Amino acid sequence: MDKKQMELLQGTLDMLILKAVSLGPLHGYGVLLRIQQISKDRLEIQQGSLYPALYRLEHQGWITSEWGESENKRKAKYYRLTAAGKRKLQTEAEKWNRMADVIAGILQSTPEEV
Amino acid sequence: MRIWSRVRSWLRAMARRARMENEMDAELRFHMEAFAEDLVRRGVPREEALRRARIEFGGVERAKEECREARGVNFISSLVQDLRFGLRMMRKNLGFTATAVLALALGIGVNTIVFTAFDALTMRPRAVKDPDRLVGVYRTKEGESRDALSYPDYIYYRNHNKTLSDLAMFGFGMGVTTSDLPPASPEDMPRMASAIGFHLPQLLQGGGRPLMCFYVSGNYFQLLGAHPAAGRLVLPEDDQPGARPVVVLSGNFWRSQFHSSPNVIGSTIHLNRVPFTIVGVTPVDYLGTLPIVPVLWAPIAVRPMLGNGTRESLENRSERAGIVYGHLKAGVSLPDAEAELSVLASQLRAAFPDVERKSGVSVVSEREFAHMDSEGWPVVAATMGAVALLLLIACANVAGLLLARAATRRREIGVRLSLGATRWRLLQQLLIESSLIAFFAGAVGLPLASWGLHLLVTEISSSLPSYWGSIALQATPDIRVFAYTVFISLMTGVAFGLTPALQTLKTDVNSALKDSGSMLGERLSKSRLRNILIVAQVAACLVLLINSALLLRGSQRALRIEPGFDSKHVVFLEMYTPALSGYSEAELLQLSRQLRTELGSLPGITSVTLASRAPFAGGNRFVPVGTATEEPPVNAAGEDQRPAVSYSYVLPNYFETLGIPIVRGRSFTPQEAEGEAPVAVVSEAMARHFWPGQDPIGKRMAIGSAHGQTPYPGETAPFFPESEVIGVAQDVRNLSLSKVDDSYFYLPLSQSSQLTRMILLRTKGNTSSLLALLGGAVRRVDASLPVVAAPLDWAVSLDPYFIVSRVGGILCSVVGALGLFLACLGVYGMVGYSVVERTHEIGIRMALGAQRQQVLGLVLRENARPMLFGTVIGIAVSAAVARLISAILFGLNPADAISFAGVSLLLIAVAMFAGWLPARRAMRVDPMVALRYE
Repeated sequence: MDKKQMELLQGTLDMLILKAVSLGPLHGYGVLLRIQQISKDRLEIQQGSLYPALYRLEHQGWITSEWGESENKRKAKYYRLTAAGKRKLQTEAEKWNRMADVIAGILQSTPEEV
Repeated sequence: MRIWSRVRSWLRAMARRARMENEMDAELRFHMEAFAEDLVRRGVPREEALRRARIEFGGVERAKEECREARGVNFISSLVQDLRFGLRMMRKNLGFTATAVLALALGIGVNTIVFTAFDALTMRPRAVKDPDRLVGVYRTKEGESRDALSYPDYIYYRNHNKTLSDLAMFGFGMGVTTSDLPPASPEDMPRMASAIGFHLPQLLQGGGRPLMCFYVSGNYFQLLGAHPAAGRLVLPEDDQPGARPVVVLSGNFWRSQFHSSPNVIGSTIHLNRVPFTIVGVTPVDYLGTLPIVPVLWAPIAVRPMLGNGTRESLENRSERAGIVYGHLKAGVSLPDAEAELSVLASQLRAAFPDVERKSGVSVVSEREFAHMDSEGWPVVAATMGAVALLLLIACANVAGLLLARAATRRREIGVRLSLGATRWRLLQQLLIESSLIAFFAGAVGLPLASWGLHLLVTEISSSLPSYWGSIALQATPDIRVFAYTVFISLMTGVAFGLTPALQTLKTDVNSALKDSGSMLGERLSKSRLRNILIVAQVAACLVLLINSALLLRGSQRALRIEPGFDSKHVVFLEMYTPALSGYSEAELLQLSRQLRTELGSLPGITSVTLASRAPFAGGNRFVPVGTATEEPPVNAAGEDQRPAVSYSYVLPNYFETLGIPIVRGRSFTPQEAEGEAPVAVVSEAMARHFWPGQDPIGKRMAIGSAHGQTPYPGETAPFFPESEVIGVAQDVRNLSLSKVDDSYFYLPLSQSSQLTRMILLRTKGNTSSLLALLGGAVRRVDASLPVVAAPLDWAVSLDPYFIVSRVGGILCSVVGALGLFLACLGVYGMVGYSVVERTHEIGIRMALGAQRQQVLGLVLRENARPMLFGTVIGIAVSAAVARLISAILFGLNPADAISFAGVSLLLIAVAMFAGWLPARRAMRVDPMVALRYE
């Protein structure tokens, strides 16, 4: 946690959550851990903003939830990607990649190219 | 699908609020505990770990609130909050609420009544099988409107067409008499007649009671998919020549006369003295193809048995027998069917050139009861326009009230804004409040409308004589009408809630809190809106009131029109025996003679006479007439080209009985009448038309032709190759109240050989009190003979123009009075509001030395301006409308000064009074209090 962390770009949390639960059902804390784990702790996520995002995604039908048992035998709410969520994740990821390419292209441009 | 999941999650959240809250708690607690446990595992002490977990998580309550919002739960809870708050506000301002709800409810209720009536007549499909494919087949003839088919034509179309599934005929109804039922009693008498100012002829108590019988072909009920309430309906085998005569009762008659007893089925009833078997009953209020419930239904084949024409007349191609209905076969369009039937019509023209000449066929949709034609639209448009004006007044009224209230709530709204309420949230709140008013108004307006409709239908139906059948229009507001009501109420609420709401939101927080928002620019735009509302209300109200005044004054004028005969002292009686009603002609002649003797002996009767028709009583007869010296001009088609002139057969004392002066020559002698001599009395107009500038006495005319026909059984069509004019009678209004007859002549009536059913009496006294006496006389002669009677001035009031202008005037003045009431409320509220709003300014004026009277004058003057402007607009619009209705004003100038000036002054006076009441408050403003108010 001492490493330098980046703040999340606006609007990307939803995509990251969808990606995290696409790898397997997770509870809310698990989502947080998985994002931190994959990002090697380079992203700073406001814990409090995670749940509204989860609720919003569930409300929109991208993910669905059910109560289950956690690793340490406690009751926890698990989130799972729905078919619609899967498609959503795919289009969002494509969009993001295209955008990243474009931005990167712009930033790497040299005076000769212009 | 996603929408569905959203709705589901929302519904789940709503339905199980508590459970969602618990789950949310558990989920967040799990998160923090799991986080804390991880920290503990890394060696952090437990207490410290829990503390850090809470810090890392951030505001738990805020997260929860955001979660709720994500689920859409917040929207609902704030909605519920706003609803509760709105209801509380309504209860707190009961006066405001009651006024606004009442105003809108009136507007909505009256509009719903009109919409439902319109809907029931012209839009609601008939309650028959497959109404969308139901069509009517009519005979058309060049230059004439659609007409009924003859029976043989109907049979031809039925047997030869391939585009329609079946064809059934609805024959015209007729009153039949029966001796099996008690004589006419007071319950059979129409009510309400005098309330509107016209009276229908009364069935005399003590005489017989005619029953309205509809004739239908044997397949009619099958075609419409009707089911009996008991027994069976008319079947094809009943509709054969020589079949056993059967009759079906209407459910209404079965209930009222036989207490719905099943024993009636199979019993015998004598109709026009012929025994009929009652085979079944239709459901109560069952309508076939007319919006009228008859008493009886009988097969067309029995018509000759009831005396309504002979078997031959049923087979006559020129005799109109009834309306023909059928269903389009699947895949067949209306033009297809018409094209096919037109081919059949041309075959008929070729086969029967003399009767079918020029006749064609037209097929029209019969999905609804009434076709909106060019004659119906102006009436519908005028009615809808009038009630729409009422709704406009109501809306302007409520808008004014909301506006006024917005001013008093500016402070409250300022406080809410400064405490951080979003403007959207406030808008939502204000819109909900005005929608609540609209919904309450709809909730009050709908039962109001359904009660009004019920009243209207039962009143109209009870004002009809029973032998016309009764009306059973489906007038219960249906789901579409309900939707319409709610739509109007919501639109009103939103449209007029929004205007003040948006204005309120322009409120600057600071000025609102300081309560000085009423100054300068803001006040200007607001007072303009207020003025527009007053202008609209006054103008709309004035249009209604001026036109109602015009119509009522016009119809009043109609009652004073001198028809040329003495309508005040003459009563007509008509033996209601269509198609002889089972009597023979000789019997009816005998009855007529006995009746006249009996009537002549009543006290106060000075003379009794007979005529083929009474003025205004319908049954206009006309015949081609020419001057005898010329050959009857005939056109290429062999049709008589001489002008058709209206006439009556009368006894010699007709002129004296009705008080029509003979201006030249003389009336008939009894010998001329009895011998049906070739003599005639003509009207002055006819004399001028046929023999301009000459003395008509002694002139000859040729009346009728050898093959002339009359539709009146018992009468012969006049045919006099050379008839001498022996007298000239003064011009009268025999046919229409709105003008003197163009031409009219009188022929001598032989009382021993020519049957007429019309008896006219002259009395010295009051005509309406005579009616009860007349019933007794009829009873002494023949208790089963139905006789209707009316003083002639009643008949005058049945003139169609009179009815239109009278009913229109009454409707208009009811709506206008409601409008006036609402407009006064509106003016009262708005003037009151302007006074409250300007308390501060008035205080300054008074502090600077203005007198109370001056202040009052200022307030009144300022409010008088929009009223006067509204009056000018109202007068201009009324003048345009008045020109449109000038035809039914009976010669009243459409720019009638009394109506225009009188009503305008009345309206201004009432509106000024409504403004003066709250304006007095301005005088009572205490400058000290007003200035400290800041």
